[in-house]
Amino acid sequence: MTTLNADSTADHELQVPVAVKDNSAAIDGEGDDGEKELHDLLFPNVNDLPLSPPSAIEFNFVTYFAPDFMKPEHDQYIYRHANGLCVIGLASGHVAFKDEGGVTSVDFNVGKSNRSEIKVTGKRKRNAQHFESNTALCKVCTNNAFYIVRCCVKGSLLEVNERLIKHPELLNSSADREGYIAILMPKPTDWLKAKDSFITLEEYKKLRNI
Amino acid sequence: MADESVTAPVSNDQDTAVAAAEEMKLLGYAVQELPAHAVKDLIAQEVCVRCIFRLFSIHEGIYALLPPPILYSIIEKTKKVEDVSTKSTEDTENVNSLQSSQDSEMKSSICSVCVGVLQFHYHNENDNLVRKDHAEDFAMAVAESVKEKGHEIASFTLEVSLPTLITENEQMILSYIKENYASEVWFQEKFSSEHISVKDALKLSMTNPLEKLLGVKSGDSEFRIRLTFEHVDSTSAENKAGKNQGNKRIKSGISITGEDNGLVKCTNGTIQSGDVSDLKVVQPCHMTLVCSRSPIFIGGRYLKFSRNVSQTRWIIDDERKGEASVEELIGGNILPMCNGDGYKFHAAGREDIDVRMLGSGRPFLLEIQNACHVPSEASIKEMEMKINSMESNLVRVRHLKVLGNQGWSLMREGEAEKQKQYAALVWISRPIKDDDLETISSFKDLKVLQRTPVRVLHRRSPLDREKTIHWMKIEEIAGSCQYFLLHLCTQAGTYIKEFVHGDLGRTTPSIGSILGCRAEILQLDVTDVKMDTLTE
Repeated sequence: MTTLNADSTADHELQVPVAVKDNSAAIDGEGDDGEKELHDLLFPNVNDLPLSPPSAIEFNFVTYFAPDFMKPEHDQYIYRHANGLCVIGLASGHVAFKDEGGVTSVDFNVGKSNRSEIKVTGKRKRNAQHFESNTALCKVCTNNAFYIVRCCVKGSLLEVNERLIKHPELLNSSADREGYIAILMPKPTDWLKAKDSFITLEEYKKLRNI
Repeated sequence: MADESVTAPVSNDQDTAVAAAEEMKLLGYAVQELPAHAVKDLIAQEVCVRCIFRLFSIHEGIYALLPPPILYSIIEKTKKVEDVSTKSTEDTENVNSLQSSQDSEMKSSICSVCVGVLQFHYHNENDNLVRKDHAEDFAMAVAESVKEKGHEIASFTLEVSLPTLITENEQMILSYIKENYASEVWFQEKFSSEHISVKDALKLSMTNPLEKLLGVKSGDSEFRIRLTFEHVDSTSAENKAGKNQGNKRIKSGISITGEDNGLVKCTNGTIQSGDVSDLKVVQPCHMTLVCSRSPIFIGGRYLKFSRNVSQTRWIIDDERKGEASVEELIGGNILPMCNGDGYKFHAAGREDIDVRMLGSGRPFLLEIQNACHVPSEASIKEMEMKINSMESNLVRVRHLKVLGNQGWSLMREGEAEKQKQYAALVWISRPIKDDDLETISSFKDLKVLQRTPVRVLHRRSPLDREKTIHWMKIEEIAGSCQYFLLHLCTQAGTYIKEFVHGDLGRTTPSIGSILGCRAEILQLDVTDVKMDTLTE
């Protein structure tokens, strides 16, 4: 969740005590006065609202890019959450998007197993397969060719986006959100090792002239 | 050396002197009924006199007031009478052995059955050897310790914990008596019935004196006085077994083998068979006194006005997350008022650190451990006002009161079944249309499938959870066409933030998918936690 910018938050906090001290019964939410006071608390100061707030992804994840991963123009992104989980997907500059018609199908049956069939259970994430950074996650097909999408970081595979099987067009419309490929859980040490080879959004934009 | 005189113990209290004399008389009668040779035998086996009485089921006064020498003299008197009448050569020997065992009692050898517990010989917390003459003196020591801790009590429960060594010893001595005296006339009548256990004898002798000294009745109480007797050596029984050589050894608990005639005695958890003269002096027990009150519960509802206060203490890598926690703000104020050892904070559900808790508030229960003082209704009201007038104004409480155990059922009620109401500040990627308001309002009991959100996926099971959004309403914000306030009422356990932004498509439907655009959530407030209880 994003929040209002720092200044406005501070102002907001200052506003609260004033409202509260004037009418302590009101905060209890009891009676008509209470309703009004609650209402005032809930409503933001319109002037403080940013035109375009940071998205949930921008707010909760740090975005990294792995350009030319193992093959030229095979660009992938890694969203890393504060809790250590990594969401893997195709970056906008990926060669698959250059083909006419874009992505037509996605197949998770690669390597030794069908990645969409593993069931990970429990808090301890049993049955999760441990993959290397170059392990294949899925095959992405266009009218002309197919491309292998890889893990980019060593870790346990928690989930793949199996919605892509029935709706491969998600990759064309929102590869950076609903079209994510998979979620991995790397060990802290493995992440630290891999992190250095990735670049930031700014660097990626420069690299691909976006 | 203790005084051998046969007079009643000197006491300031007239009543006690009278009671003691009475006890002596009653005991005298009871003892006359006992088989002399068996009693002498037990004395020779170093069984203390109170154990002898309880093994023969003598209840009289539970001998609480009389010190050992007096008790012995009672037996002695009856023995002398018996000796005169039987006139056998053995008797003189027995008298001598009685004398010598009396002497050894003076040297305070530890009872071979109760290991000093009924003799009130024990090591206290400072490891000093303590010896009390009778239960009343012991009760005084206990009462003093209890008063020191400073609890305000209305009653008490006395609990006693004894080492297994005593149980083993009891088994041994019962077997011994059965083996040697089962055939005798008195055995069926006097011995086969249930014996008074060491624990019962101790508790029975202590209860009245304690009631008098503490000024309250004993019974089923929240306040427990626990006496724990531990035997140091028996815990290292296995070690000792290896060390002793020369004697036949069987691990404790196994019955006597037929061929051994001599005394079988339990020392240090192992059985050594040999002669009476082989006996070692056993260490008395180590006693600890613990008294505590069972937890009291103070409940109410809390409101949280800050977006930087977590519900419970949250510390990662020695750094605190947020500027304070609800549990510390409430518990930290109430605990000193009750003068307790610690507190546990329980709430009916929780909210994120950046989510405010408004409206009627969230029910909570504060468990205070070992409170010395139970607050009155007036002081609780004062505490409520105090918390609510704190400068920082981060947290407030309502309907604060002391609850009994019913507090628990109230909490459970609140968690899984009840509905929660929220207000979210939402932004969408296109201007709002009038249709949108209608669309959103039209949904009643909308079923939402939520995959475990990425933000908690590291510590929760990956599951698909179906949740219900009971109703929703858009409230427009004047001056903005892309921001609005979304009011919604949902099933407990629904992830609101993920319902708004869709969590990469892992929550369906979401506000974004319903309105056909991107939606983001900026702020979330809980406006109501519906519960029937904990309100006045």
